[in-house]
Amino acid sequence: MNDRSDVLQGTLDMLVLRALQLEPMHGWGIAERIEHWSEHVLQLGQGTLYPGLYRLERQNFIRSEWRITDKNRRARYYSLTARGRKYLNESLEQWRRVSRAINLVLDAVN
Amino acid sequence: MRAWHILRSRLTSIVFRDRRESDLSEELRLHLERETERLQATGLSREEARLQALRLFGGVEQIKEAARDARGTGAWDALVRDTRHGLRRLLRDWRFTTAAVLILGIAIGANTAIFSVVNAVLFRKQTFADANRLVNIYQNDRSGKPMVVISYAAYMEMAEYTDIFSGTMASSIPNPVRYLAEGAVRNAVAEFSSANYLNVLGLQPSLGRWFDATEERRGAPLVAVLGHQAWTRLFHADPSIVGRVIRMEGLPVTIIGVGPANLRGTLDVGLGTDFWLPITAVPELISPMGALRDAPTILAPLFVKARLRDGVTVAQARAAMDVLARRLADEYPDAFRNSGEFALGPGITVIPSTDVRVHPQADVPFMALASIVLFIVGLVLAIACSNLATLLLVRGAARAKEVSVRLAMGATRRQLVRHLLIESLLLSLAGGIVGCVLAWWGMRALQTIDLPFRVDMHVDYRVLAFAIVLSLITGVVFGLAPAIKATRVDLLQTLRDEGLQPIDHRRLTLKNALIVVQVAISVLLLGGTSIFLQATAATRALRVGYAVDGVAMLETDWRFAGYSESAAKTAQDDLLRRIEAIPGVESAALLRGLPMVSTGMSIVVDSATGQPGSEVEFHMLEAGPGFFDTLRIPLLYGRVFDARDRADSPRVAVITETMARKYFGAVDAVGRRFRLKADPNSWTEVIGIVRDTGTGDFEDDVLAPIGPTYYRSYTQSGAQATTVLARTSRDAASLIAAMQRELRAVDITLPAITAKTMAQRLEESQTAPAVVATLFAILAGLGLVLASIGLYAVVAFAVARRSREIGIRMALGARSQQVVSSIARGVAALIAVGTGIGLFFTVLLMLVMRAGGGSADVGIGHMSVYRPSIDPLALLGIAAVTALVGVAAAFVPARRATRLHPLVALRHE
Repeated sequence: MNDRSDVLQGTLDMLVLRALQLEPMHGWGIAERIEHWSEHVLQLGQGTLYPGLYRLERQNFIRSEWRITDKNRRARYYSLTARGRKYLNESLEQWRRVSRAINLVLDAVN
Repeated sequence: MRAWHILRSRLTSIVFRDRRESDLSEELRLHLERETERLQATGLSREEARLQALRLFGGVEQIKEAARDARGTGAWDALVRDTRHGLRRLLRDWRFTTAAVLILGIAIGANTAIFSVVNAVLFRKQTFADANRLVNIYQNDRSGKPMVVISYAAYMEMAEYTDIFSGTMASSIPNPVRYLAEGAVRNAVAEFSSANYLNVLGLQPSLGRWFDATEERRGAPLVAVLGHQAWTRLFHADPSIVGRVIRMEGLPVTIIGVGPANLRGTLDVGLGTDFWLPITAVPELISPMGALRDAPTILAPLFVKARLRDGVTVAQARAAMDVLARRLADEYPDAFRNSGEFALGPGITVIPSTDVRVHPQADVPFMALASIVLFIVGLVLAIACSNLATLLLVRGAARAKEVSVRLAMGATRRQLVRHLLIESLLLSLAGGIVGCVLAWWGMRALQTIDLPFRVDMHVDYRVLAFAIVLSLITGVVFGLAPAIKATRVDLLQTLRDEGLQPIDHRRLTLKNALIVVQVAISVLLLGGTSIFLQATAATRALRVGYAVDGVAMLETDWRFAGYSESAAKTAQDDLLRRIEAIPGVESAALLRGLPMVSTGMSIVVDSATGQPGSEVEFHMLEAGPGFFDTLRIPLLYGRVFDARDRADSPRVAVITETMARKYFGAVDAVGRRFRLKADPNSWTEVIGIVRDTGTGDFEDDVLAPIGPTYYRSYTQSGAQATTVLARTSRDAASLIAAMQRELRAVDITLPAITAKTMAQRLEESQTAPAVVATLFAILAGLGLVLASIGLYAVVAFAVARRSREIGIRMALGARSQQVVSSIARGVAALIAVGTGIGLFFTVLLMLVMRAGGGSADVGIGHMSVYRPSIDPLALLGIAAVTALVGVAAAFVPARRATRLHPLVALRHE
């Protein structure tokens, strides 16, 4: 059971970091972007998103700062750190290898 | 780097807790708003959109909780919450809290104080450069064990081995010296060392310089190095001290430097050395070590340390010293024929300095003593803990319902135990703080006592760490068991209030046994108090045997004003004449030292009837012409000292009637002879016999009756008189003032070392037994407090456990007296057994002391031991006090039981 949540957690981290790869964003923006990109398949519960963000921040993969949004509201913007960027690349690499392997197995004839 | 980042993030989380919380709220609110807007855009109404967003969102508080956990501060928050809650609870139960904190404070304080003494004496080691290259060298005794004394000549030979040692130094054990500062004579501790002392230790003076080889020659002007602590304490770290001349034992000594800050003294037992002087200053300042440079037979209490040359091993040094030992034995065969306490044996011991704390022979007993003392105070703490644990159990029983409710509401047992433990830790930490304050205060009080030496016991990190660790251990020890017990409840039963079964309270439990022991110890301590009070009263009632009223004394030392011997004598006579001329003075006499202070020594009696040539221990008192008249000590036969007895006339003595009867067979022993054991040419003739008097054994107890005594005149002692003794028909206190006026008239620069009346001196001489009695009384009081808290706890526990039973009984018509008496019976039995045991041991102790005779060798010397009489009234009083305190302690919780309304008790809430 633990394994499953760990995989999911690892995936969540990767998704969040990926979402932040282009530009800093606030929490809601991250959730929306992931939902948008996944064509509404992946809907991040806020109960998962914020603890995840704090954990990533604690691990020094992202950092946060308060900024004013285009709608003139105060929001906490998250951005990737160098460490986070490196971690994302490694995770993506890993993910592609593993998913390719899994696909190979699933698609194998005999 | 990563670890640092995490730490920083957590720390900022913890420190800026409020900001972090509001940030979190704001962030979540924003998210909610955006979600609502998005939903609104899909065509929902604002209200519907908000509700849907909230539904999607989930519980805000749960998210916050999860976010906190993700930050890693959840445990901390829980800790803060529990601590706040615990503090509130403890403040509400302020009576319990105060009692617990006080008890813990006293117990932890006692432990901390004792530990800080042990720490100062044993654990705080001095550090030297390259300490593992230093060795200690000792000459052995007959049995091959290292001695505390060494011959100076042997040290000089050791220092010759320069191929083995790069340096060799010697330093004496600390000696008391007196010096003059700001017009007053003060006590200090001096060490006499060799010139290369600091070089061998690898240290540098913090100011000025150490003495050099030219100053280490006999007859060189006296110089001294001030200890760093003495410099800051006595001279306020005044750098201009270097070059100043002070008077030590009356002689001018130039201060040439200040010692290293981290050097306390050669004998590293927490005694601070105030002055270091060259070894050659010994003959001038202190006479008994006079012949230092003579044959190896002359042994002096010196410590020898050497630094090994590079590449030389301890084994090589041992081999070299073995060669030296054989050579010394060949060269001075006579030196090794001595017998007695310091019999020199062949052989030299070399031990790495890091392996020795004080002295190879003393380290083990020192450690054992320290362990025993620590064990005893630890026992006090253990008893305090056990009593507190019982108290907490009582509280736990009372809180069973609360615990059950919390368990039912979903709190885990772990959380509850943590919660209860935090409470007990808060108690023990508060106790620790109180304990540290008490210990600090106690040590301050101890240090105000003017002792000739000073143990440096300031609180260092080790003492503080000890107190904190002790508090934490204490908190867990007395808190854990009650916490676990309190949370081990059967939910359903307790909630229905049937959880507490009546227990068999007559069983001999460990707790009851502890109470009995505590009561017994308190009784024994009270017994000790009574013995010492009795002893004080008895010595007061003794016939002193000399005049007290109207007698005053004035001690000075002429050398402090730089008088030569003959000038001092003239000035002395002048002072005596002036004091004799003071109106009202009936008689005055000169004296060396203070009156009725004796020195123990061995003499050989030239006896026809006694055992010829036998050695006997004696006490010698200093006197002079006019002494017996001034103190009105009656002369029985012969004459007392007068002007005929001069330094060059035959030695004479006045002896007491006891000495005459015991060793010369008759009271009239005029004309008989004896001599000092140490000096074959010291035949002394008895010229008079006086009545026995109370006499000081040590410097202090002037009243204690001691055995045979003789008086010697200062005129024949080779030393100068220091004290004028006078008796007036008027008030002694005003006589002192007049005597001091006369002293100033003779020489304004002369310091008065002692100026007091005989009555004051008698009073002071009784401080030692009075202090001991007070100490016992304090300990006994402490014991009683501990015991009564234990009794209180046990009774309160029993009442809590039995409230159902009591309720039923009272509902069935039992009266409150009956209930109380049923509880009281158990308590009375405990107190009775404890008191009985305590009284038994008290009487046993008294019997042992009576059988032990008038004196006992207690290691530090011959001390007179009081023979107590068994006073039934005092014993009865002790029993009554104990019973009263015990009953009072038990009464409070017992009464609570009777106040219970039957219905309430049955419901037990």
